[in-house]
Amino acid sequence: MELIGTSVRLFLDFREKLASLDSALILDVPLGVISRIEKMGGATSRGENSYGLDITCKDMRNLRFALKQEGHSRRDMFEILTRYAFPLAHSLPIFAFLNEEKFNVDGWMVYNPVEEYRRQGLPNHHWRITFINKCYELCDTYPALLVVPYRASDDDLRRVATFRSRNRIPVLSWIHPENKTVIVRCSQPLVGMSGKRNKDDEKYLDVIRETNRQISKLTIYDARPNVNAVANKATGGGYESDDAYHNAELFFLDIHNIHVMRESLKKVKDIVYPNVEESHWLSSLESTHWLEHIKLVLTGAIQVADKVSSGKSSVLVHCSDGWDRTAQLTSLAMLMLDSYYRSIEGFEILVQKEWISFGHKFASRIGHGDKNHADADRSPIFLQFIDCVWQMSKQFPTAFEFNERFLITILDHLYSCRFGTFLYNCESVREKQKVTERTVSLWSLINSNKDKFKNPFYTKEINRVLYPVASMRHLELWVNYYIRWNPRIKQQQPNPVEQRYVELLALRDEYIQRLEELQLASSAKLSDPSPSPSSPSQMMPHVHTHF
Amino acid sequence: MDEIEVSLTGSGRGPRSEVLAVGGGNSCETVRSLLPRGLLNSCPAGVASCPASSCPFQSPRWPRLTLLESVLLLGPRPTPSAMEFSELIRTGGAQAKLLRGPEVPPLHGTLCVTGHHLLLSPGPQATSDLWLLLLRSVDSIEKRVSGDSGTITLRCKDLRVLQLDIEGVEATRDIARSIEALSSLESVITSFPFFYRPKGLRLGDAWHFHPPERYYKRVARETNAWRLSEVNEDFSLCPSYPRAVIVPRAVDDDALACCARFRQGGRFPVLSYHHAPSGTVLLRSSQPLTGPQKRRCAEDEELLWAVLAGARPGARGFILDTRSAQAAKQARMTGGGTEARAAYPGWKRLHRPLERGRPLQESFVRLVEACGYLAQSTDCWRSRLEACHWLGHVKEALSTACLAAQAVEREGACVLVHGAEGTDSTLLVTSLAQLILDPSSRTVAGFQELVEREWIQAGHPFQLRCAHSAFSHARPKHEAPTFLLFLDCVWQLGHQFPLSLEFGEGLLLALFEHAYASPFGTFLCSSEKERCLCEVRTRTHSLWSGLNQPKEQRKLRNPLYVPSPLAIWPSVEPQSLRLWQGLFLRWTRPNLQR
Repeated sequence: MELIGTSVRLFLDFREKLASLDSALILDVPLGVISRIEKMGGATSRGENSYGLDITCKDMRNLRFALKQEGHSRRDMFEILTRYAFPLAHSLPIFAFLNEEKFNVDGWMVYNPVEEYRRQGLPNHHWRITFINKCYELCDTYPALLVVPYRASDDDLRRVATFRSRNRIPVLSWIHPENKTVIVRCSQPLVGMSGKRNKDDEKYLDVIRETNRQISKLTIYDARPNVNAVANKATGGGYESDDAYHNAELFFLDIHNIHVMRESLKKVKDIVYPNVEESHWLSSLESTHWLEHIKLVLTGAIQVADKVSSGKSSVLVHCSDGWDRTAQLTSLAMLMLDSYYRSIEGFEILVQKEWISFGHKFASRIGHGDKNHADADRSPIFLQFIDCVWQMSKQFPTAFEFNERFLITILDHLYSCRFGTFLYNCESVREKQKVTERTVSLWSLINSNKDKFKNPFYTKEINRVLYPVASMRHLELWVNYYIRWNPRIKQQQPNPVEQRYVELLALRDEYIQRLEELQLASSAKLSDPSPSPSSPSQMMPHVHTHF
Repeated sequence: MDEIEVSLTGSGRGPRSEVLAVGGGNSCETVRSLLPRGLLNSCPAGVASCPASSCPFQSPRWPRLTLLESVLLLGPRPTPSAMEFSELIRTGGAQAKLLRGPEVPPLHGTLCVTGHHLLLSPGPQATSDLWLLLLRSVDSIEKRVSGDSGTITLRCKDLRVLQLDIEGVEATRDIARSIEALSSLESVITSFPFFYRPKGLRLGDAWHFHPPERYYKRVARETNAWRLSEVNEDFSLCPSYPRAVIVPRAVDDDALACCARFRQGGRFPVLSYHHAPSGTVLLRSSQPLTGPQKRRCAEDEELLWAVLAGARPGARGFILDTRSAQAAKQARMTGGGTEARAAYPGWKRLHRPLERGRPLQESFVRLVEACGYLAQSTDCWRSRLEACHWLGHVKEALSTACLAAQAVEREGACVLVHGAEGTDSTLLVTSLAQLILDPSSRTVAGFQELVEREWIQAGHPFQLRCAHSAFSHARPKHEAPTFLLFLDCVWQLGHQFPLSLEFGEGLLLALFEHAYASPFGTFLCSSEKERCLCEVRTRTHSLWSGLNQPKEQRKLRNPLYVPSPLAIWPSVEPQSLRLWQGLFLRWTRPNLQR
């Protein structure tokens, strides 16, 4: 067995030992995935496999290397691994800054906030784009560019900021193209034990409500359970009370905090790795509550989407700081409402916008390059979001342009540190670190080889709102992600299903091309000077695939 | 009852006159609006143009409407039994609202009961089509009356739940009673398939689409060790076998007769599948009637000996008993038993207990309950799913089939599968083993042939097993979802090997529906003998001809399919087996109802 530790990944090559086996077994671990390295056994340990290294990974697997006690091979290996897996603790740069990969597409160009807001039809009579946060002075965890009500002045915004946790004021995330209702995101109001009020904040919310005249109330979704929202008052936070906000209705969505989610995922890991709990698989899965949390997040997002789409009411979403549960809810609701986000590029923009630019604390939640594996700030919030997306894609197999590989690739590079996309906590720090100049974007990798990530059954539908069924019966464990390391689940490489997808996509392109040729030929034959209905531009081929 | 002659555009044989029996109270126009478009050609009694005053449909003697199937479906002249139906129909019709589950808009219209259908006509002005429900597919019916209206909840065999809100208490009672009586008729020859005459299909067309004889002849030709025997031509040897069976060439018909007497129900060992790559075979039978005295039968022993000799020199055999060793032993007390080791040299017995009969049916019922069709909460859903043990049955069935397939392919052995009667779990194992081993059974045509050969012709008692689905309040007598379990296992294979099956979930769902209630004759009766007596082949249409129309075919195929000659070995790990949402949760999620 050969163990190769490079500064990027750990390769474990079993080829020599297992030459009798047909397939080479190569273990390939990006060092970024490692959350913890421990020595096991000591010089006096006896028995096979009792001396070596134990490596805990962020992606649901543990690795255990049994080493020989002679020499000091373990000490060296431990030091090298620790150094490169946790560069921050050793004043070393994260690998993304050393990565010199080149792609023919620049993923950093995918998201341009002005273009995205323009696509949504903004600015308009009621909403304006403001550069008040250009230097991140209003709110250091928000992006530079924000969309706010036309009738709120920059001074209003500054005053509102004083009343919102970490100055995260209510700003527009998405506007409905027809009824002009909006999804607005923010953090909790700083109500505190004394029940403070802020006239500017109250007025500001009313201004938001008035941008849409169809309904007399603004709907506020507080993602937290009621008791947690109340408890937050003790630390200066809280929620919008009926007395202060007459024209708003508040609902709690009962989604638990980052600590609960972390513990739940830990339990999932316990039942799937290294061995799957066989005898009571379903009830042990139930006892992790992971799918219950998924259900609550999805249910919350469905409520937001439904309020905006059918209830014709504008919606304000917040949790405590507005960067975890809030991001989950707004991005999932937008995915349900806006078919654009279901394309590969649209989804990249969604992640870039609602998660990366609005300050989901990726660095703290994932712990890139950080050795403190027990950090209470770590939590699988983004993984949970991707899981929700996967659940939706299972229920609507033709609605998403991307396939499962796309989602798994995103998750793999959430940890890998190969790309700059998920590094750091917010835009201001990313700018300071010149991430876009000094690192490569994950979207470069994906967009330069898009076919690999496409769903051949995708049927583009504009304006269809997707309402997944969030009942427990319809939610499933994402086996291909959570249990992919189980040796009993043999992953065939290359994956035949993915190959078949590529074949089908090629076939579809071929047919579309042939159809266009035929249409061109027939319209040429007609040679009618007046615009005929059969001209190719008017009869754009729309290929439906049966699933 | 009034009868008028209506000339209808026929099914390829030109226009035919049919008798239309219609109750009064409806104008011609109403009746015309009830007819599927394009079927009505002209009406001697003047449906097309008769003045309202002389319209025969407006006779006051009859309640609003009773319309016989013959009108709707171009059937033959109603048999005398049609009159019996009309006695069971206690209702003329009523205004009703139909609720079909979440997010499906309700349907308003006139509700009528006919001999085989419940139909809701949205009226001549409405844009939506006539809504039809085969009464046979109603599994249970529940009625509630309050004020001057009533509600009927119909739970269907395909697990659909329908709610009808009906105006009038009497009308509700009458409709409920009519549905109850008509949905539980047991007579085969008055069932709907005998009246169903769809456009574009000719009677008797596809009955021989998948003749098992063809497969058997091919095996006989290729191997030289097997022959097609007509010993069961008159079904005297074994009432549940087809006329033609395939047996070792070395065994003559007289010996077969002796074997038949030694096996329960006469089901002597016959070939189920010949695995060409290893030259070995899969056989099936029922249990030997050894009884407490441990009787033996020389002919039966010779037959199995001949199987090994015909395969290849030195071939071994496995007898896969789908009961536990304990249960097999106990069966001796009631005349059954299992093969004694000494009597069958070369054969080794293995026991793999599979659940059947009532426990299986109860598991199905509990699963459907847990799936929320009876408005149960989703609390502890996964624990409840686990407790009903359905996935456990799936696992057992698949792993037993894997064992049989492994013995055939990897050990190069012959395998005889039997339980007690050999008509349930036995067929489950032999048919699944073929799907694992034989690429041709994974095509659309091959799978249909497999179902025809290994289930229908092999004498799985569909009439008894599928009399009721999961909602019936009646105590189950012979019901068991063995065939559904088979379909679920096939779905699991398709899920684990997305490229390997030419057909998609659509075909499996169709088979499930048709096995329980169908306008086609394919799943009628419990054996080939019964089907002959009822003249099913000449008087009903085959499901295969219905499914093999190009329009249907497209819906049944798996676009990912790539033919592969390899065996597909499923995983039976707990995380690999899933609930078949497309079937069990189909009606609770709008986008699953394709």
